[in-house]
Amino acid sequence: MDIGSIISIIVTSLMAMVPIVLTSVGAVWSERAGVVSIGYEGVLLMSAFFGAIVAELTGSGVMGLLGGIATGIVFGMLHGVLTVYLKGNHVIPGIGINLLALGVVPFGILAYWGTAGQHQVTVTLWSWQTKYGKISPMIPVTIAIAIITWWVLFKTPLGLRVRAVGENPEAADALGINVEKYRFWSTVYGHALAGLGGAYMSVAWLGVVQKAMSAGRGFIALANMVFSGWNPLVALIGGWLFGFFDALATWLAPLHIVPGQFILMLPYIMTLIIVAGIIGKARPPKWDGRPYKRE
Amino acid sequence: MKSSISDLIAAFNFKALLESLIAIVIGFLIGALVLLAFGYDPAVAYSALFGGALGSTNSIASTLAYSTPIMLTALTFAISARTGIFNIGAEGSFYFGAIAAVIFTNIWANMWFGLAMGILLGALWSLPAAFLKVYRGVHEVISTIMLNWIAWFFVFWLVVGPYANPNDPNKTIRIPESARLPLIGNTNLSIAFIIAIIMAVLSYYLLWHTVFGFGMRASGLNPRAARYGGVDPNKAIIWSFIIGGVMSGLGGAMKIMGEPPTYAISQGMANVYGFGFDGIGVALVGRNHPLGIIFAAIFFGMLRAGTALMQIEAQVPLEIIKVIQGIIVITIAVPGLYDLVKNVFKKG
Amino acid sequence: MKEVPIIEMKGIVKVYPDGTKALKGVDFSVKQGEIHGLLGENGAGKTTLMKILSGMLHPTEGKIYVRGKEVRFKSPADALANGIGMVHQHFTLVEVFDALHNIILGMEGHGLLSKINVDKAREKLKKLMEDLNFRVPLDVPVEDLPVGVQQRIEILKMLFRDVDVLILDEPTAVLTPIEVEELFAVLRKLKAEGKTIIFISHKLNEVMELTDRVTVLRKGEVVGTVKTSEATPQLLARMMVGRDVVLRIQKPPKEPGEPILRIENLWVKGDRGEDAVKDLAFEVRAGEIFGIAGVEGNGQTELIEAITGLRRPEKGRIILNDRDITGRPPKELYDAGMAHIPEDRTRMGLILDMTVTENAILGLQWRKEFQRWVGTVDWGKAKRHTEMLINEFEIVAPGVDAPVKSLSGGNQQKLIVAREVSKKPVLIIASQPTRGVDVASTEYIRNYLVKLRNEGKAVLLVSADLDEILQLSDRMGIMYEGEFMGIVKPEEVTTEEIGMMMGGIKYEELNK
Repeated sequence: MDIGSIISIIVTSLMAMVPIVLTSVGAVWSERAGVVSIGYEGVLLMSAFFGAIVAELTGSGVMGLLGGIATGIVFGMLHGVLTVYLKGNHVIPGIGINLLALGVVPFGILAYWGTAGQHQVTVTLWSWQTKYGKISPMIPVTIAIAIITWWVLFKTPLGLRVRAVGENPEAADALGINVEKYRFWSTVYGHALAGLGGAYMSVAWLGVVQKAMSAGRGFIALANMVFSGWNPLVALIGGWLFGFFDALATWLAPLHIVPGQFILMLPYIMTLIIVAGIIGKARPPKWDGRPYKRE
Repeated sequence: MKSSISDLIAAFNFKALLESLIAIVIGFLIGALVLLAFGYDPAVAYSALFGGALGSTNSIASTLAYSTPIMLTALTFAISARTGIFNIGAEGSFYFGAIAAVIFTNIWANMWFGLAMGILLGALWSLPAAFLKVYRGVHEVISTIMLNWIAWFFVFWLVVGPYANPNDPNKTIRIPESARLPLIGNTNLSIAFIIAIIMAVLSYYLLWHTVFGFGMRASGLNPRAARYGGVDPNKAIIWSFIIGGVMSGLGGAMKIMGEPPTYAISQGMANVYGFGFDGIGVALVGRNHPLGIIFAAIFFGMLRAGTALMQIEAQVPLEIIKVIQGIIVITIAVPGLYDLVKNVFKKG
Repeated sequence: MKEVPIIEMKGIVKVYPDGTKALKGVDFSVKQGEIHGLLGENGAGKTTLMKILSGMLHPTEGKIYVRGKEVRFKSPADALANGIGMVHQHFTLVEVFDALHNIILGMEGHGLLSKINVDKAREKLKKLMEDLNFRVPLDVPVEDLPVGVQQRIEILKMLFRDVDVLILDEPTAVLTPIEVEELFAVLRKLKAEGKTIIFISHKLNEVMELTDRVTVLRKGEVVGTVKTSEATPQLLARMMVGRDVVLRIQKPPKEPGEPILRIENLWVKGDRGEDAVKDLAFEVRAGEIFGIAGVEGNGQTELIEAITGLRRPEKGRIILNDRDITGRPPKELYDAGMAHIPEDRTRMGLILDMTVTENAILGLQWRKEFQRWVGTVDWGKAKRHTEMLINEFEIVAPGVDAPVKSLSGGNQQKLIVAREVSKKPVLIIASQPTRGVDVASTEYIRNYLVKLRNEGKAVLLVSADLDEILQLSDRMGIMYEGEFMGIVKPEEVTTEEIGMMMGGIKYEELNK
């Protein structure tokens, strides 16, 4: 393996990192506030779809990303209403959102663009074309989002309150912190980041909308969140590692050393091993996934 | 017998039943809005959908055939849910059940052997998540998601590699004729449907009429109290995974052994993909009750069977039913749906 | 001129969503600068009333006035803004935060997105602590601090917010007698500084010692408000219970028989890995009630969990009827003749979402008498059994198929007692058997325990209610930090001596 391949694997892995890190960081924030969601997979898929539509309608890649964020916000609000205000189960809405995405996206591709299964996005975000592959400005943006989210979560009053709400909502409530408000907007923020990640996939990275393009990244992001110990900085590094495996698998696949399926399996096996090994140390927020009711 | 019939009725919570019906109605209403938005006529689409699902003996057979695999994967989810576990690993066990049927009926062309091996592999594949949950505290949602993907790539490799059909390399070798499930009457419906119904009834009996099932439900509702009551919740959890794996493995095996004319895993594993996730929807609409699941599965089967005619007569993409199903599940996730709707009607 | 009370609550009614009427039109008023006791039994509505005053709950009906001005609290923030703060019985601390961050939470003092600066807060807290002469480590995660210190953090949290009215809900329940004295000193100092204190308790002595006036609640209604100086414990007790006779238990003398349960050099670890039970040894004999007294959290829970097979002991042996049962699972213990009334009714004793019948056979489900054939439950038989228990124990239940959560607390507890007795045990372990249970049910359960003892069963009773232990026990051990300070007969010691032992002084050292 020459130096050029190494650089190109790193470039590819940084590109692959973006949706995983954004979703993980969003999920970390949401779970720190005590709201679990497994609907990120569906949000990634749907925001890839709607992000592409917005990009094509406005002729702007940036607007496409905003469209993805808006999609994330809509589903974050839906999830937030169901779990935070109506005190419902935290897992079931995600199952519904994922199922919905599997319908909306292929249906939408066919109904909107008239093509089956796949659409080439005509308006994409500017990126830097190098001989090692393209580099998107979303890479530094993602790193900045992870760092800023970490800083806000651990250094500011806002972060203190979010963590309090996820650890002991009763304590926060007794001090006049509006638990529902903090939980709701944390959920929205989490899903908005996933929405940004989804739009990035179609508008900036892959340049297509496909009916299975999220390819489990929403779930990998959850594994990465656990791996990170609910810490955005560690999630940044973990997300890059997952991206690295992805890139490595793609790079090794044509060499036929081992069947391609085994390489593609690798990140999932690694996740499982990491999650199994680390869970003893990583402690989820105490009220994670539990609705809070005053009476 | 008198008491068991009254139990059966008591276990059917009418409020839950109504909530499922409300969710279904809302699913269809929103589905209609989506259809309208994209310029389709919902009335035409829906009447084609139901015509395609119930219009003839063959369409009814098709409905029931579609309901069979999701009935079994729904049981996987429901049995675990009753034990307090969010097992979304039906998908992976389903792949393994399917490939087991292909592999082992080609070693010994016997139907029962094929089913048994499907069950065995399905159950085995459920074990990693069970042990990770009990001994390492890994949340089952995370582990089963990973295991589903691992199963997908592994079985995919078997499908395109060692067990590819030499004459048609995108499919696997076929189930030998003598190991295929008998068909009912002159239809394409196999006895798989009857076996699935039997499994649902057995699941009901297990959960509500055995000491073991009592322990499982106790663990699901309150593990501390269950432990106090002499039940080992960890054992209950492991068994709920295993029984779940049995159901999905059987479902996968029967999907391949009882589905004319293919009798093989098809290109891109298209005829085994997605049944585990659909089963979760079925379980939720059936309120995690094995008897509710029978009806919910037939309902989902109707939707799926009807899409063929809907595509022809109304030119509507078949994925609209996933949209409807997704809305139904999200609606079911609304707590106190029944009271909510009741209040709306009172005001209105 | 009549002075305006700092707090005035008028006609407060509270109906919970499940239909329970917790308060039935309560009038309550507190004067500026007094320590006002709020006395009542469990379930009288004290906590509900104060949660309404502190903004945690909304009243169904009624009005609240602060300094004569009507207020409407939407949340605790509104109450805090009006200078009212409450220290809850279950502490509301974020366990992974240190004291400092717990205290500044919600009033960090800057913009939401600026860096937290704790210097000013630390300064203010140091001064507060000096004034009151009590100290709290500010930088240690509170989960690593003892409950007494956690309580101080709760009080500091309110004082940091400059509250004028401080509400304390059963603050002494978790404290040793010495800590109680220290707390009272702090409260008196606060009063001297002009603060108003509302002190919720069901302990007569404490109310007599500390308060200026007392309001007594019973079943959601005010019985009356009296000046403490004009009251006697007897008067307050009568107001609280509603009848002159406090519970009387008939207990004929009885010679105990053979030892049924023997505990030998038992060591048990708590959830945080600390030694919760240290080298404990005692025995419970047939026809005897052995009581374990002590402030909660001194290893009683861990001891009982070890005996009942729910927690694995580190060292030592547990012997039931000459059989070593150390570390055996609960099912085996039940088969060996043990029954267990657990301390936490709703989280361990019952499965609230199951029916009365299902709960009535929990722990008995594998017994032959409930089986149709091996491994199956005959619900017909189970229901007949349940109906029999309901009749025999006078349990009020809408039916055997009703969810057990539809029963009142007292009836739930009676169902547990009935179920455990129906195991036909030789040893009954009763942990807080009457906590949160109405008076009638309490009396019934206590008498039943005595009846079991009279029939020659061995009874191990753990209770935080000292009266209960004193009334029922033939012998009692006083537990402190995982050890017995003494094993005595109730009639041989005075209340003061027990109090000293509960506070960590050994019996042998008492009379030196």
